[in-house]
Amino acid sequence: MPSLLGTVAKQLKSHPALIPLFIFIGGGATMSMLYLGRLALKNPDVSWDRKNNPEPWNKMETNQQYKLFTVNMDYSKLKKDRPDF
Amino acid sequence: MAHPTQLGFQDAASPVMEELLHFHDHALMIVFMISTLVLYIIVAMVTTKLTNKYILDSQEIEIIWTVLPALILILIALPSLRILYLMDEINDPHLTIKAIGHQWYWSYEYTDYEELGFDSYMIPTQDLASGQFRLLDTDHRMVVPIESPIRMLISAEDVLHSWAVPSLGVKMDAVPGRLNQAAFIASRPGVFYGQCSEICGANHSFMPIVVEAVPLEHFEKWSSLMLEDA
Repeated sequence: MPSLLGTVAKQLKSHPALIPLFIFIGGGATMSMLYLGRLALKNPDVSWDRKNNPEPWNKMETNQQYKLFTVNMDYSKLKKDRPDF
Repeated sequence: MAHPTQLGFQDAASPVMEELLHFHDHALMIVFMISTLVLYIIVAMVTTKLTNKYILDSQEIEIIWTVLPALILILIALPSLRILYLMDEINDPHLTIKAIGHQWYWSYEYTDYEELGFDSYMIPTQDLASGQFRLLDTDHRMVVPIESPIRMLISAEDVLHSWAVPSLGVKMDAVPGRLNQAAFIASRPGVFYGQCSEICGANHSFMPIVVEAVPLEHFEKWSSLMLEDA
């Protein structure tokens, strides 16, 4: 529909209570999609290119932060205590 | 340990469980406040003489009952996500212990330095000594040093089990063919009880877990004694 935004804007003027609804639902949906996108692109369990990058979970650095945020841990301080193969 | 007529959680014996307790208090307080508010509104609506049958809409209250619940949910979600990430952190463990579930007992292996392994069977009710707890005490306890991060590697030999100690805030399924990792720190010395938490056959209720947290010197003495006996 060409003027969907126009119709919604007109209805919003007579029902301003819908504005917080748009903000919270829109914000929530945006944040969920952004997190899903982050998981799809940056999660080491996900492989998009089976030929060039088949097992990205084997290529993690010792102090690579792969989670979204840390509470008590400093990833840069982690040591490597496993043998190389 | 749990006691009869207990309603709340057991006292926390690890920092993670403390955080979980505080979060539960926070969320429960919010739930109580919402329930009280709703009950008050219901009673007020039912007992009022003011009625207007022709109200069609009202923007102000709609804004309030959109924004307020959204803010309350954010207030619940932020601490919850924080604890979620906290529980998952790798914290440089001092000791690694393997807990293997069998039908119907647990076996523990401390293989960091020497090969120490033993089974932990529930003490049958007729063999209980005075002061021991029915269905909870075992013949060998899993002894750990206090204030040390411990890594648990949990698996099973036959069917699904689950290694759970509520006061440490740990529960992890024991899956045959799979190694699951859990971690905890025992903040204070004590004896902490748990029970198998995944149905595993006839004696699923009779394979408890007992963790005894002691100062490091006592742990070292205990492990030397256990190695001699083996």
